[in-house]
Amino acid sequence: MDEPSAEPPAGPLLLDAVTLACGAEVDPLLEQVADGRAADLNAHQRDCVHCQAAIAEFAALWEPVAETAASQVAAPPGLTAAVMSQIRVLVRDVWYTLQTTELGTIRIAARIVAALARDSARMVPGVRVALGRSTHSRLAALAETATFGHRYPQAAVGVLGRTAVVDLAVAVTYGDSAHAVARDIQQHVIGTLRELVGLQTVVVNVKIDDILPGEADR
Amino acid sequence: MEPESQVGDAYLVARARDGYLDAYEMLVQRHSANAYRVALQLCGNHHDAQDIAQEALVAAWQNLPRFRGDASFATWLYRIVTRRALNKISRGPVADQADLLEDFTDAVAGPAEQTERNLAVDAVTDALAALPFPQRTVVVLHHFEGLSYADVAEVTGSSVPAVRSNLFRARRTLGKKLGEWR
Repeated sequence: MDEPSAEPPAGPLLLDAVTLACGAEVDPLLEQVADGRAADLNAHQRDCVHCQAAIAEFAALWEPVAETAASQVAAPPGLTAAVMSQIRVLVRDVWYTLQTTELGTIRIAARIVAALARDSARMVPGVRVALGRSTHSRLAALAETATFGHRYPQAAVGVLGRTAVVDLAVAVTYGDSAHAVARDIQQHVIGTLRELVGLQTVVVNVKIDDILPGEADR
Repeated sequence: MEPESQVGDAYLVARARDGYLDAYEMLVQRHSANAYRVALQLCGNHHDAQDIAQEALVAAWQNLPRFRGDASFATWLYRIVTRRALNKISRGPVADQADLLEDFTDAVAGPAEQTERNLAVDAVTDALAALPFPQRTVVVLHHFEGLSYADVAEVTGSSVPAVRSNLFRARRTLGKKLGEWR
């Protein structure tokens, strides 16, 4: 009568074992493979056929997981827009400029004014990042309620009729004169808003709150 | 490199708290794919994943004042997404397990290769869905998102030994399931 086989478990049955025939624990081996370190054999593994066989088996089992994990999954189109739209409803960011002409009225959303100001500021040499806000002080209060305490330290203003006050937070290039860049931003943004939106009075508050290395420094 | 990519999340979080919605919009652009991907892998279908990601990103904005900055914005967002996914799954069966495939299409692969890959993704999706939620979460966060054990523990509100233990069990179960599939 044959003796019962002393062969170690093979294939997926390995996953029911605690240790291999050589005494190596299964879980750390599986961890090694799953973390992409299958080729990083230690001294024991380099001389152990049991470990090498187990690692090869686990690598084959884990391959579909690694493949799936490596697949690129993009956010659905429109997700960012949907999120921001929902947030704008929450802060009720619905203020508009108002111009009355013989043909009727023209209203432009305050957030559009802020976006135009932001994009205009980004065109000024020395500006690396510009963020614009246009929330009216009343809106700031609403937003504060909606967000359980957001703070608007400088009481951002926004638009009223043909007057606009825009706050810009700006990061500039290291080494440039922050003051000169700020003046350039004010002049450029005021010109843009007058030309594109038809605003008469424009106040542009610039806060430079970050400095980034220049192109040559990176 | 776009200049916007050079400013850190902490800067954008601070500006978003000051009321700059476009700062938060940049954060959404940076992290929406991660939020959606984790939601997709946790709940297994596109429609719920989109809902979860959208709800989580709005909830993150609403709770910015409570964000202390101890963890990164990304880690904090992962926590919100996983909690929302758990809530969604707890409420009832998911709508459609099959449409996960459409999110893994690869234009470079040929039809045969693509079919094989889709089958593999399908098998992984089924195997993931069969895991208990805590095990599924640690697999997704560690093996799919590349978070360290410490970061997974931070997201899940557990400890590193607990994360490791869940991963040990999850890997064995996944290995067996995928062994049957092969």
